[in-house]
Amino acid sequence: MSTVIKAADTVDTHGVDTHGGHHAEHHAGWVRWLYATNHKDIGTLYLWFAFAMFITGGVMALGIRAELFQPGLQFWQPEFFNQLTTLHGIIMVFGAIMPAFTGLANWMLPLMLGAPDMAFARMNNWSFWLLPPAAALLLISLFVPGGAAAGGWTLYPPLSAQAGMGMDLAIFSIHLLGLSSIMGSINIITTILNMRAPGMTLLKMPLFAWTSLVTAYLLIAVAPVLAGAVTMLLTDRHFGTHFFSAAGGGDPVLFQHIFWFFGHPEVYIMALPAFGIVSQIIPTFARKPLFGYVSMVYATCSIAILSFMVWGHHMFSVGMPATAQLFFMFLTMLIAVPTGVKVFNWIATMWQGSLTFETPMLFAIGFVCLFTVGGFSGLVLSIAPVDTQMHDTYYVVAHFHYVLVAGALFSLFAAVYYWLPKWTGYMYHEGRGKLHFWWSMVWFNVTFFPMHFLGLAGMPRRIPDYALQFTDFNTVASVGAFCFGLGQLLFFYNVIHTIRGGVGPAPASPWEGGNTLEWEVASPAPHHTWESPPDIETVRRGLIAQAVEEKP
Amino acid sequence: MTSSTAQRKNQVLAVKLGLLALLMFGFGYALSPFYAAFCQWLGIDRADASLTRPGTSIRVEFDVNVAPGLPVAMQALDGVVTAQAGGLLKSRFVLRNDSDQALTVRAVPSFAPVRAAGLLQKLECFCFDALTLQARETREVTVVLLIAEQLPLEMGAATLSYSLQRGAAAGAG
Ligand code: HEM
Ligand SMILES: [Cu+2]
Repeated sequence: MSTVIKAADTVDTHGVDTHGGHHAEHHAGWVRWLYATNHKDIGTLYLWFAFAMFITGGVMALGIRAELFQPGLQFWQPEFFNQLTTLHGIIMVFGAIMPAFTGLANWMLPLMLGAPDMAFARMNNWSFWLLPPAAALLLISLFVPGGAAAGGWTLYPPLSAQAGMGMDLAIFSIHLLGLSSIMGSINIITTILNMRAPGMTLLKMPLFAWTSLVTAYLLIAVAPVLAGAVTMLLTDRHFGTHFFSAAGGGDPVLFQHIFWFFGHPEVYIMALPAFGIVSQIIPTFARKPLFGYVSMVYATCSIAILSFMVWGHHMFSVGMPATAQLFFMFLTMLIAVPTGVKVFNWIATMWQGSLTFETPMLFAIGFVCLFTVGGFSGLVLSIAPVDTQMHDTYYVVAHFHYVLVAGALFSLFAAVYYWLPKWTGYMYHEGRGKLHFWWSMVWFNVTFFPMHFLGLAGMPRRIPDYALQFTDFNTVASVGAFCFGLGQLLFFYNVIHTIRGGVGPAPASPWEGGNTLEWEVASPAPHHTWESPPDIETVRRGLIAQAVEEKP
Repeated sequence: MTSSTAQRKNQVLAVKLGLLALLMFGFGYALSPFYAAFCQWLGIDRADASLTRPGTSIRVEFDVNVAPGLPVAMQALDGVVTAQAGGLLKSRFVLRNDSDQALTVRAVPSFAPVRAAGLLQKLECFCFDALTLQARETREVTVVLLIAEQLPLEMGAATLSYSLQRGAAAGAG
C-alpha cells in the first residue's frame, strides 16, 4: 500500500521537480503536444490519432457498403469505389490499428514495467509526428488528378506501376508510416529489454510486454521490407528500373512475394498485441492468474517465427509448383497449434474463476469467440485447393474482418475500457460500456457473417456492383455496417464522458483482480511515474499474485 | 548502474536494432536476384523479357455470335492471335449452314475497346460483303488486319467480335 500513497503524492509535482532528461514540460496548449516527450502524452496522441483514422477509414467503409446496398451503381463510379477500398484498407491497417497498439504500448509499458518513461523520449516524439503527415498524404491523394491509389491495399503491379500520382503519394505515405513504426519499435524493445523493475525477469513480465516485444521485432524485420518493395515500385514507375516489369526483365510476381513476406507477419503485428491485452484482462476479471504463462510466451514466439514462412498462402492462385503449395499449406495449418494453445489457455484461465463481466471482460471474451471464428475460416482458406476457389471472394473479406475487427479492434476497445480509469482518473459508465459491447457484437456479426455466404456463392471482392443473386446478403451486411458505425459514436461519447468525470473518481486499482504494476500508481496516473523504480517488495507481491513467482 | 551507463546501454541496443532494420531493407532488395536465381535453379517459369516486347505487339481476340434463330454455326479457328506493330494478322473462321436451303448472311464487326478500330485496319474481310451459303455448305473465311505502326503502350489487347445476321445480298460494309 505504501507505494500507492507515495505515487499518489507525486501527482503534479513535475512543475517543481528538476530531474534530468525531461524536456518541454512547461509548454502550454498545443505546443505541449507538438513537443511532447512524455510517454503518457505520446500515448494519448497515438490513441487519438488512431481513433481519428478509425473514423476516417470507417466512413470509407460505409461508402463501400452504401454502394453495395443494392446492385447497380448508385453513388460512386467504379474508379472511386476502388480508391475507397484501397484507402480504407491502408488507413485501417497503418493508421488505426497499428498506431493504436503503439499508443497503448507507450502509455502502459513504462507503467507495467516500472520504468520512468520510454527509452528514447525525443525519438518517441518523432515516431508520432511522422504519422499526421503520412495520413495527410493519403487524404490529399484523393484530390490529385487520377485520384488516390486504387489497386487495393496490396498495391500489386502492373496496376500500381501504371497508376497516377495518387500512387506516389501512397508510397511516400507508406515510407513515413514505416519509419514511424521502426522508431516506435526500437523504443519499445529498448524499454522492455533494459528498463524493467528490479526482480522482473523477462519470463516474469506481463504478457502484454511480451507480445509488444515480439511485435516490435516483427516490425523491425518486415517494415523495411515493405519500404523496399514500395521503393522498387517507385523507381520502376519513375526511374527506369525493372524490378516488376516483365518487359525489362523483372517479374510482377516478385512484388507479391516481397509484399507478402511483409504482409503475413503484418497480420500478426495486428494480432499479437491483441493477444497480450486479452491475456491481461481475462486473469483480472477471472480473479485467477493466467493459465500457462510460459506456454503463452512460447506460443507468441512460435507464431512470430512461423509467420515468416507462410506468405505463399496468399499466392496459391498465382501459379506455384505443387510442392511449394503443400509447404505453405502445411506450415499455415501449423500456426493453428500455438494459436489454439492461446485460446485454450484463456478458457482455462476463466475455468472456475470468479468471473465478472465488466465491459473490458466482455470485449475480451467477444474477442476470444470471434477471433476463433476468424481463425477457423483462415484454416479453411489455408487449404490450397479450397483457396483457389475462394481467393478474392467475399469469404476472404469475412475472414480477415473477423480477425481484424472482432480481433484487433475489439481488443483495443477492451484495453480502452480497462485502462481508461488509469488514464483519466474516472470510471466510465458501465451500462453504456456494456451497451457499446453488445451493440458492436450484434452488428459486427450482422455485417460480416453473411459475407461468408456471399463468398461461398462466388461474389468477388473489390467490385462496386454485383449479380442480382447476391442482393439480399449484401443488403443485410450494409444495414449491419451502418448500425455498427453508429455504435462507435457511443464509444466516443463514453470516452469523452469519462474524461469529463464519468461516474466518479476511480481508485488506483479499480479492478479487484489487477496485479500488474500499473495499478500501484495513482489514478489518474501522474505525469511522472516510477521516477525511482518500484521497490522489490512491491514487484514481488505482484509477481506472486500473477503466479509467475513462487510464494516464499 | 548510473543513469549515464544505462543511457549508453540503451543507445547501443538502439543502434543494433537500427542496423537490423537497414539489413532487412537490403534483404528486400536481395530478394530480387535471389528470386531470379531460385526460379532458374528449380526450373520454374517466370515472366521475362522474351515473353513481351513492350509497345510492339498486341493480342487480338476473336469473338463470334450468331443471331438467334439463324441456322448457321460459326467458329473462330484462331481465337487469340498475337501480332507485331506494323505487321499483318490473318485469322480464319468457319461457317456452316445447317439448314436445307441457301442462306444469305452478313457478319457485323465490332471492336472493344472501340478505339482499337483505328489501330487494326481490315484489309480484307469476309464481312465486307454478304455471303451466300448453299444448303449444308461449310466454308472457311478470313480476315486480314493491318496493325498500326505505333501502338499505345497500354493497348495490350483488343477484341474483334463478329455478329452473324441474316443479310440482304447487296451493299458493302
Ligand atoms: C468496422 C467496420 C468495417 C467495415 C464495415 C468494413 C468493410 C469493408 C469492406 C466491405 C471491404 C471490402 C471491399 C471490397 O473488397 O470491395 C473491406 C476491405 C478491407 N478492410 Fe474493412 N471494414 C471495417 C473495418 C476494418 C478494420 C478495423 C480493418 C483493420 C485493419 C479493415 C481492413 C480492411 C482491409 C485490409 C481491406 C482490404 C482492402 C482491399 O481490398 O485492398 N477493415 N472492409
Ligand atoms: Cu497470411
